[in-house]
Amino acid sequence: MNTTTPETAIDDFARNLKAVSGHPHLVADHVAAAEAICRIIADAAPRCVAVAQIPAAILARVEAHCAEHQIEFLKEPYPAGDLPGLIDRAEIGITGAAFAIAETGTLAEVCTNDAVRIVSGLPRTHIGIVDGNQMLLQLLDAAPRIREAIQEHPKGVTLSFISGPSRTGDIEMVLTLGVHGPETMHAVVIGGGHGE
Amino acid sequence: MASERKAKLEAAITEAIDNPKQRNALYYCMKRGRDKRTERLDTMPTGAAFRPEVKAIKEKCIANQDALLAQFTANAEARGTKVFIARDGADAIRHTLAIAEEHGYKTVSKSKSLTTEEIEINYDMTDAGLQVVETDLGELIIQLVDEKPYHLVFPSVHKMRDDVAEIFSKATGKEVPPDIDEIMRVVRSYLRPIFLNTDIGMTGANVGIAETGTIVIETNEGNARLVSSIGKCHICIVGMEKIVETVDEALMMVLAHPVSAVGQMPTTYVTWMSGRSPLGEGGENRASHIIVLDNGRTRMREDPLMKEALHCIRCGACMNICPTYGVVGGHTFGHIYPGPIGIPWTAEVHGLETAGDFAELCISCGLCKEICPAQIDMPTMISEVKRRDAVKHPPDFTTRLLMAAEPMAKLGCAGAPLSNWSLRNPAFRWLMEKATGIDRRRELPPFARKTLVKRFNARTPKKTTDTPKRRVAFFYDLYANYNAPELGLKAIEALEAQGCEVVLPPQRACGYPYIGYGALDKAQDVAIENVQHLAPYVAEGYDIVATEPTAAYCLKVSYPKILPRNPRAKQVAGRSFELFEYLMEIADDAPKPQDLAGRRFGFHCSCHQRPLGFGDGAMDWLRRRGAQVEFIESGTCCGMAGTFGLKHGPLGYDLANAVGEPLFDAFKKSGVDTIVTESSVCSIHLKEGTGLEVVHPLGLL
Ligand code: SF4
Ligand code: SF4
Repeated sequence: MNTTTPETAIDDFARNLKAVSGHPHLVADHVAAAEAICRIIADAAPRCVAVAQIPAAILARVEAHCAEHQIEFLKEPYPAGDLPGLIDRAEIGITGAAFAIAETGTLAEVCTNDAVRIVSGLPRTHIGIVDGNQMLLQLLDAAPRIREAIQEHPKGVTLSFISGPSRTGDIEMVLTLGVHGPETMHAVVIGGGHGE
Repeated sequence: MASERKAKLEAAITEAIDNPKQRNALYYCMKRGRDKRTERLDTMPTGAAFRPEVKAIKEKCIANQDALLAQFTANAEARGTKVFIARDGADAIRHTLAIAEEHGYKTVSKSKSLTTEEIEINYDMTDAGLQVVETDLGELIIQLVDEKPYHLVFPSVHKMRDDVAEIFSKATGKEVPPDIDEIMRVVRSYLRPIFLNTDIGMTGANVGIAETGTIVIETNEGNARLVSSIGKCHICIVGMEKIVETVDEALMMVLAHPVSAVGQMPTTYVTWMSGRSPLGEGGENRASHIIVLDNGRTRMREDPLMKEALHCIRCGACMNICPTYGVVGGHTFGHIYPGPIGIPWTAEVHGLETAGDFAELCISCGLCKEICPAQIDMPTMISEVKRRDAVKHPPDFTTRLLMAAEPMAKLGCAGAPLSNWSLRNPAFRWLMEKATGIDRRRELPPFARKTLVKRFNARTPKKTTDTPKRRVAFFYDLYANYNAPELGLKAIEALEAQGCEVVLPPQRACGYPYIGYGALDKAQDVAIENVQHLAPYVAEGYDIVATEPTAAYCLKVSYPKILPRNPRAKQVAGRSFELFEYLMEIADDAPKPQDLAGRRFGFHCSCHQRPLGFGDGAMDWLRRRGAQVEFIESGTCCGMAGTFGLKHGPLGYDLANAVGEPLFDAFKKSGVDTIVTESSVCSIHLKEGTGLEVVHPLGLL
């Protein structure tokens, strides 16, 4: 039986995300987060990276890394006329999540612009960033956070729970990743007493 | 002569039985879904405790549907979404086409939505010149070959990789090898431009939330995120019954749905849309429409016997366990909605006649109800569908005969031993098969010359102490009375040995066949009569004890359900027990003779015994006597389903055997020499299917 406690929450998140084929990275701070992300980028060697609603300190470092390695770097604001084609160029999409759920290895992305959703939804690789202090223990604990996000944005808001990469079992029940969106999904969890 | 409709159904069953490749694929898919569900429930701190919660939420929300719909509409519209309530499919289609025409939209990318399939909107959109593409892989596969879903969660489970490769070779005009990874690459690049150029992104919704006007969409592939974010216009078509009141309730559905389907928690992507956001900076406001579909749901709500169907959260768990669905699949067992829930749902939204085409496939094992996250009592609803359908299509002679088993049994006893000689005579059985439709290969239990009641009354009355430990009114049902009175006597003696005073109250056979074959009105008559007989005993402090699991199930579960306004049915249910459950409850702790030491048994639990405690009473009882007992199951029914497996033909003997195969194999592989079961009918089937000895636990006394 799995019971998540505040002490084990981040480790539980990591274990549960791995169980759904995601890759957790537990890091101490923004600098370490940016380093982890740059390592993922270096390994994947993409031509183009897109980001949306990520912390400024991380953005600056990742942008510098991309510039250094001649990787096209896409960031907000995204002109409406260029979408969705522009983001379709990116092989890696990086977005910030508002909170996470340990019990299920879930990132919760809250956005008021759908550009964020396609940054996490179109590229082959998605990297989500979340503050380790925003870790909920259980799925059913999420109701107040969902309600709050909806009420904060009376004009329109979309929450996306993301638990691992895009998956299907539609052919012979064989688990296959990345049929439409991300084939690889990373979650970078910052703080909460952990460092890689 | 079989009706045309029955002949069609029988032909489809035979075709399915003769297609082991497809059957295996389906069996594996269902088993995997069940096993993963069980695994997950085992790791959840509260296990399956969400089931009564889901049921309570659905009950409350359906009862308040009008108010919730108004609240949902007001909140969604406050966020700029246009909400349209569609009376029926035609209304929803007209509205969709008007939106497309007004804005000159040309392309529609859909994510999986059974509600849009219910109204078959794709045909109309295509006819109107729209290019419609299903983007869920399974749905796309069946769209390309113009088929209906085979399974609710895995619509294309009947297509193997070779089939799929061929389908995409045709669709792309390029040779696609039968390799799953390669197919995935092809699908990804086939669909990408379709996603990017979407005018209308069309989705369903798993839940609507009244307090916020939010729709919740679950997908594993992430395609709903893409079509709902990229589409110039988003149209969500949602069944009216999906609206709950609060975010907390919606979360409960988000948890219950994938856990029940495949043991996943939650679905990979859960999208909560509350109004629509812009895409990028400086773009225009993008249209967002929600079409709330009625299509018979309001009427269903007013129908006391059918309204529970509205509690369905479309998880597909019921079709992961349904024994006959598991053989024939969703094209035979279903119209658009496949499997158990497909019967009542089809009857309500696509018509009784269509539901009647496959309703007979339900053998009333009750397993769907046991697995359903909303605890929906499908077997009773299905029985009612059969009853309504029978007005136009009366049951055949064999079915009528099997429903009226009690007068037959009386005749059999009166005619014994001649009747028994006849039952063993091949020529007679051949004639009997022709005349009655009872398969000649079935070994029928002989009739007793003297019934249990006669033998009990002829006994020297047992001297009971003034204060017996318990007072028991014994419910013997058909088998113990007419076929195996010695078994009934053993049960009575076992009770007496524990200090019980036992009486035989007046009674009729439990009447479950009436429920199974769809004569719900007759079942109610039997239930009323038995409750009338038994209630006075309960009032005097007697417990009702039954040996036959289905009889115990009737007393405890079915009667109160089919007599909802009869308080005495509940009283009787509250004091009714299955024999071994009861014996174990009253047993003393004194050491028992180890007369079964060294014996190894495989235990078969009949479907109706599952909700009564999975036969734990009998297994414990055997173990206390030194036996080694293994619980052996295939995870579904043995196929006999009462008297269903006695019927000659595809819709009986043949299907019963096909259903039973995995269980027979499991017993044969287990290495046990004897099967123990408390069900009289399962025992006939298991004996023939495995060739092993099958005994009742009382037979081991
Ligand atoms: S009662 Fe049994 S046979 Fe009937 S639909 Fe449910 S699972 Fe299938
Ligand atoms: S009836 Fe129950 S088990 Fe079947 S799909 Fe609906 S919710 Fe799931």
